[in-house]
Amino acid sequence: MEIIKTWNYLRGYVIIKVEGLTLERFLNLAAAKDIYLWDIKRINHTLLEMKVSTKGFRALKEVVRKVGCRVEVLDKKGIPFLLYRLKNRKMLGFGVLIFFSIIIILSSFIWSIEIVGNETYSNEVIMELLADENIKSGIIKYNIDKNYIRSILLNELDCLSFVSVDIKGTRLIITIYEQDIPPEKLDINTPCHIVASKKGVITKAIVKNGKTMVRKGDVVKKGQILISGIIVDENTEDNILVHAEGEVLAKTRYFYRVDEPLMKVVEEETGEKMEIHEIKFGKKGIQFFKEDIPYEHYVKNTKEIKPFSGRFNLPFKLFVYEYMEVERKEVKQNIEFLKKSSYIKAIEELNKQIPREAEIQFKDVIYDVKNGILSTYVVVEVVEDIGQKQIINME
Amino acid sequence: MKSRVDDFKYNISETFELPKDIVLDLPKIIMIGDLELHISNHKGIIEYTQEALRINSNIGILKVEGTNLELKTILSEEIIVTGNIEKIEIIS
Repeated sequence: MEIIKTWNYLRGYVIIKVEGLTLERFLNLAAAKDIYLWDIKRINHTLLEMKVSTKGFRALKEVVRKVGCRVEVLDKKGIPFLLYRLKNRKMLGFGVLIFFSIIIILSSFIWSIEIVGNETYSNEVIMELLADENIKSGIIKYNIDKNYIRSILLNELDCLSFVSVDIKGTRLIITIYEQDIPPEKLDINTPCHIVASKKGVITKAIVKNGKTMVRKGDVVKKGQILISGIIVDENTEDNILVHAEGEVLAKTRYFYRVDEPLMKVVEEETGEKMEIHEIKFGKKGIQFFKEDIPYEHYVKNTKEIKPFSGRFNLPFKLFVYEYMEVERKEVKQNIEFLKKSSYIKAIEELNKQIPREAEIQFKDVIYDVKNGILSTYVVVEVVEDIGQKQIINME
Repeated sequence: MKSRVDDFKYNISETFELPKDIVLDLPKIIMIGDLELHISNHKGIIEYTQEALRINSNIGILKVEGTNLELKTILSEEIIVTGNIEKIEIIS
C-alpha cells in the first residue's frame, strides 16, 4: 500500500470533498471500479474528505453520476502539478538541466594521474611514457584502454612484475610492483668468456661450452678468465669464438665487522611530556600553546592528524608535536650479551650479502676489546658460483 | 448455517491445510492493537461515521465501534480502518 502511495505522489493526486446522502454507496462503487481511495475522513453526515489519484479522479465522474453527489477539489499535490507551475519558470528547469549535464561531462575526464609503488623509476619517467601515448589529464576516461596501458608499461620498463591500471572517479591510478633487475641475458650466439666475479679458490669447474682455463685448487683473481670463448680448431688452427657456458664453483670469503661501545648512554623516558598543536597551510604554520620546553633532554615525536580518516585532501594539515622528557644514563653493558647481539647482527648482514645458492663451509668469529669498544669480526667462507659472462671484445 | 457443501469444503481445507479464507470465502480480520484494523474479502460498506463502521461480509455484518475512525484505504477486496477502536461485533 505504501508503495502505491509514493507512486501516486509521483503521478499526482488530488484531495476532494464529497457531499451527498448515500456516501457509503459511493465508496462501494468506487471500490468496485478499482479506484484507489485513501485517507478517508468523515466530516459530518453528508461530507467525506479523501485523496484520490488524478487518473482515479477522472474515473470517479461516472460514480458521481450514479450516486448523485457533489465533488469538489480541495488541493492538488504531486509532481505533475509542480511541473505545471514550473512552466512559467522555464529557465529554472533549464538551469537544473545544465547543472547536471556539466557535472556529468566534467566527471568524464581524467583530472589526475597517480602512480603508486614506484621506487626505481621516477614519476616523471612514467608520466612521460604515458604522455607519449597521449594519456594525460584532460582526456576522456571512457576512451582509455586499460590493457593497452598495462602492456605499454610492461614492455617499455624493465623489472616490473605487476602493473595495475585503475580508474577511480576522475583519477587514474597506476600501481606497479618492481622486481629485482634480472641479470643481463646475453644472446646465445654472442661469443663471450666466463670470468671470475670475485677472488676465490676453485673447487669445481663444470664446462658446457668453451675451454676451461682453471683447475681445482687454483687461486683466481677478480676478472680472471675461467672459461674461455676462444677455441683453437684442431684441423684449421683458426680461432673460433663461442659462447662460453658452465659453472665454476669456488671458495670465497665474506666478512663483516660490528663495533659496539661498552658503555652505552641510555635514554629513558620519565613520563613528563608536552604537546604542541600546529596547523600548517602549505609551508606556513600557526602553533598553539607554544612555550619554551622546560626539559633539559627530550625526544620529539611528530604526528599528523588526518580528519575524516584521510579520505579528503584538505588544504591544511594538522600536526601534533609531542615532547617527551628523557633522562640520560650511562649504563655498562653486559659483555656476554653484547657479544651475542653483535654476532647475530653480523650474521644477519652477511646473509644479505651471500647469494642464495651458495653453501656455507665455515664460520668464525673474533672478539676484541679496545678502548672501551667491543669489535666483533665475523668471517664466513662459502662455496659459490663465481662465473660471470663477459662479451669478448673485438679489436 | 453451515450447509453440507460448506462442511465438505471445511474438511478439505483442514486435510490439505489450504487457507480457509480463500476456500470458504471468509473475510480475514487483522487487528493491530487498537489502532488499526484490516478487513479483507468484504462485500461492501453499509455505514461509515466517525464512531461506527458497518461492513458486509459472508459471515454477516461486521460492526466496528470507536472514536475518530478513518478509512485509510478502500479497495474492492480490502478495507483498512484506523483510529481508536473500542468494539468489534459480528452480527449474523
